[in-house]
Amino acid sequence: MPGCTNIERLYDEHAQPLFAFLLNLTRDEADTRDVLQEVFVRLAREPGHLAGVRDERAFLIRLAHNAAVDHMRRRTSRDRTKVNFAAEPLSPFAPTDDPDEQLFRAELAEALGELPEDQRAVVHLKLWSGLTFEEIATALDISPNTAASRYRYGLDKLRGRLRPLYEEIK
Amino acid sequence: MNEFEQRLRRLPARKLPDDWRAEILAAATPVPTAAPVNGLALLRARLVELFWPHPKAWAGLAAAWAIILLLNLSATDRATVLAKKSAAPSPDVIEQLHHQQVMFAELIGATVAPDADRVKTGPPHPHTCRDTFAL
Repeated sequence: MPGCTNIERLYDEHAQPLFAFLLNLTRDEADTRDVLQEVFVRLAREPGHLAGVRDERAFLIRLAHNAAVDHMRRRTSRDRTKVNFAAEPLSPFAPTDDPDEQLFRAELAEALGELPEDQRAVVHLKLWSGLTFEEIATALDISPNTAASRYRYGLDKLRGRLRPLYEEIK
Repeated sequence: MNEFEQRLRRLPARKLPDDWRAEILAAATPVPTAAPVNGLALLRARLVELFWPHPKAWAGLAAAWAIILLLNLSATDRATVLAKKSAAPSPDVIEQLHHQQVMFAELIGATVAPDADRVKTGPPHPHTCRDTFAL
């Protein structure tokens, strides 16, 4: 089935960066899985979505971001009426054996979690997806200037929070 | 990009769990990729999409409406039949009824006259209070 093959190709090419992005947004592995599945189910259901798309990656990021925002809204309203027994947020970074490096990654994950969601999305896409501000603007449906300012604010907060640790282990 | 940004950028992301691939693709695959070709199929697809979440509830609601419609139709038919069955009284019957009414009036010692034929007694009253005050 050609559609099925295309879905497999999309998954193999884009699932890993989408997973990292979604994990950074949701901070929860189960939510990340739900949103990632929702994205690919939607793509399979409506394959015409990708027909006129020039930048496949930006399109998928946009789709994933919108799905994540919807999912987090639903989760927020659900958590209002239910006590959340979830464990501490999952770090979006790979674990390491180096204790100093592990501490830095844990601190960074925590600092990222404290950023507003819109700044966190831009910081992630700039640093770990390697997108330009124009590409981020397209993916998140904002202006390039907004993307740049959100990145600057977010990065300043991270730098301020991590400076002591960063200077120590540098 | 400064040194701090470069440092952050080098951090490796958590790896996507391998077992997700099969599960997510399995969830995505059974969905029909071909769009309905004709209008009837499209309508059917839309109806299924609309009614699928709670088919029993929709079926119950439809049944209730069907019962209400049937009751309504049967009541309307019965009233129509009754109206058709009761024909207009003949002039003879009307004459007899009138005769009986007159006899009854004579028996109780009063002559029943229609309101329109009654003679008004007493002086005419003023029509409004203002006229009364003016007088």
